[in-house]
Amino acid sequence: MAANGEDVTTVLMIGNPNVGKSALFNRMTGANAVVSNYPGTTVDFTKGTLIEGNRTYVIIDVPGTYSLEPRDAAEEVAVRMLRHRPDATVMIVLDATRIERGLYLALEVMELGMPCILAVNMIDAAHEKQITVDTAELQRLLGVPVIPTTAISGEGVRSLAEMLRKARVADVMDISGRLKGDPPAAGGRACFGCGGCGGR
Amino acid sequence: MKHNSRNTTIQRTGPVSRPGTIYSLYIGLLGLVTLGFGCADILIWAGASNGFSWGILAISGDDFFRWAWGGVVMVCGGLLLLSGAAHAATSLHQAAKAAVGVILVWVIAGTDFLAMLCAAIPAKASSPAFLNTLDGFLAGFAPPYTPALVIFPFTLGLIRVFRSAVHR
Amino acid sequence: MTLRQPEAGPVSAAADAGGANAMFLSSDARWEMVDALAARTVSPGSYEPSLADVVGELTVRPLTGIPVALAALYAFWSIFTSFAGTLMTDGFMVKIFDGYWLPWLQSVWPDPASWHYFIFVGNPLADNSLEAFGVLTSGFFVSIGVVLPAVLIFYLTMTILEDSGYLPRLAVLMDTFLHKIGLHGYAIVPAILGLGCNVPAVTATRILETKKQRFIMMTLLALFIPCGAQLGIMMAVIPESVGIVFLCLLIGFGLFGFILSRLIPGENPEILVDVPAYHWPVKEYVAQKLWNRTKAFLREAIPFVLFGILLVNLLYLGGVIPALADLLEPVFVVWFGVPKETAGPLIAAFLRKDLAIAQLSNIPMTPYQLVASVVLVTIYFPCVATFVVMLREGWRELLASIAVLLTVVFIYGGMIHGIGILLGVA
Repeated sequence: MAANGEDVTTVLMIGNPNVGKSALFNRMTGANAVVSNYPGTTVDFTKGTLIEGNRTYVIIDVPGTYSLEPRDAAEEVAVRMLRHRPDATVMIVLDATRIERGLYLALEVMELGMPCILAVNMIDAAHEKQITVDTAELQRLLGVPVIPTTAISGEGVRSLAEMLRKARVADVMDISGRLKGDPPAAGGRACFGCGGCGGR
Repeated sequence: MKHNSRNTTIQRTGPVSRPGTIYSLYIGLLGLVTLGFGCADILIWAGASNGFSWGILAISGDDFFRWAWGGVVMVCGGLLLLSGAAHAATSLHQAAKAAVGVILVWVIAGTDFLAMLCAAIPAKASSPAFLNTLDGFLAGFAPPYTPALVIFPFTLGLIRVFRSAVHR
Repeated sequence: MTLRQPEAGPVSAAADAGGANAMFLSSDARWEMVDALAARTVSPGSYEPSLADVVGELTVRPLTGIPVALAALYAFWSIFTSFAGTLMTDGFMVKIFDGYWLPWLQSVWPDPASWHYFIFVGNPLADNSLEAFGVLTSGFFVSIGVVLPAVLIFYLTMTILEDSGYLPRLAVLMDTFLHKIGLHGYAIVPAILGLGCNVPAVTATRILETKKQRFIMMTLLALFIPCGAQLGIMMAVIPESVGIVFLCLLIGFGLFGFILSRLIPGENPEILVDVPAYHWPVKEYVAQKLWNRTKAFLREAIPFVLFGILLVNLLYLGGVIPALADLLEPVFVVWFGVPKETAGPLIAAFLRKDLAIAQLSNIPMTPYQLVASVVLVTIYFPCVATFVVMLREGWRELLASIAVLLTVVFIYGGMIHGIGILLGVA
């Protein structure tokens, strides 16, 4: 399921504009990418390499997009890049303070049947606004790894890199089933029902 | 101080405390002076007078950019301070308006200081040396000062009001 | 915490629509799942705005935001003049180049009457590097003494404005005005970038949606936005009239933007502007960006400055520029009201506009003529590098841009002359 068995895995980083995706990309690859928070700089995509353990990942910073129904040139590029690499792993970057918009995109990507991993970024900004995101519960519900990160300070970036190998295909049916069937998990409950993500 | 300023700054309603009134008066006064200085900058640039100097204060009015544009920024800063003065200690919105006004004054004062610093580092054009002497460097910071630099120390008192609002 | 259970409906409908592995939800069903997921995992807490939040909001409201924008641009410009002008160029570079480099070259280069002396050292009687006009004198002085500090400080302030989150707010604020000239708020980004160098600015026009917007922005950039190199030279050559030149350019920007937006067919759609929270710029990112941008600029700029002076000197030696000046004399003297010698700098302007302004300072002119010719050179034509990136965006657009450009130079040049005559200064 996860794109292993090869030495090099392609990872597409996708997310809404201004979720700190480029900053996260730089943290992971240390590449010569220009970090910016105005649109335009990510229209030309950036590529970098990450070596974690014995694996090599080629990480591609996809232009920021709100959905997979493109509305402008940058979003079109994003959709095209996903279509061209159906075997790639998709890293979906979400803004912890505005998680709904990111989740919408995440569901769209999951429907494509590509292996996914979620990075809930800007968790520090969320804490400042007293927003808490239960990433363990989100991981259980979605059935893919969910890692809280703060790209600016670098928190969580390492575990995000380590969890890349555990990216997997999510089944939207199952998510819907879990949402309907299971009661909300109590804090600290062990992970179950998630097709073998290996726990946290 | 009777009230804890941490609390007084975020209460939107409630009795206007004595420190609150003093803050308002202080911000208002600062706003009036800033407004006056801004107008003076523009008027002197426009040719109402050939430069002005009083004590440590001087407005040369020679440069369009510094005095006309900078003067407009000072006028705006003064107006914002005045409009934010009332209830600045009790209303977050009012305090924010005053804060924006103070920031405008800081921008002018900061760039004025940078201009002095940049002029003081190299030696005079006539001297063969590159770096200024220590005496020459320090002399670059001697009075007279621009209006924004003269006001600057008096705006520092407001940090107290704002900091209590930032940290709540 | 309230929990919203999704209805059974949308999911079963979706199951009908797709296979087992790839199933596609309707957008409504997707939003319902998002709501359910968020309800289970996100607890919003009580959120009270802080002073910083309210101040941040005030910077996008027109009544308070415009003063802040005025102050930000003031600071931008003031830091630029203090650092690049007062400290680096006037404080150190002029001394190094005029006191040591030029006299040394003049003393060691053989045969002041020869052609190679003319090309590489320039005027043997010159007492400053700007006016000598040799490849090794003016070329090095302009690129290292003037342009390098200007570009460095420009990109530093630009990067800080951008990384702190102020730039997108400025875009929101400028939206109303820019819509009137057929653009939207984000056009402020290429406009400000263009004050550094037109090359990245032309590239940045890609953030605009439609062909029409990109064309208008590219043309206006090429016409009315002086680049960092030009600004530096302008400050060195005509410090007392920079304000007036700027006013002429700003009026031209608004006027011709307005006209172009009405003449050119196409859409000017609204854009969803995303404003990130204010935050302190991260030192490492600012440093990295500053380095990348400066490096890229220098790689492109220094060869062009040197090559430009070389070519202009060669053209002088070959008698091409004097011939062109004679040919175009009536246009310059009668229509624009500037001396015929300005033809040379106008040819040079194609290679690098900053060089052209430096050359203009050598021609004796009245203050009106100086201002008029600096404005003309600024709007006349983008440098070769800009030309090349514009070509990359499409040759048809480039040709149209050139047509607009020539028309505008002709009309606006005549207009400035006309106003000059009316004011009695021309």
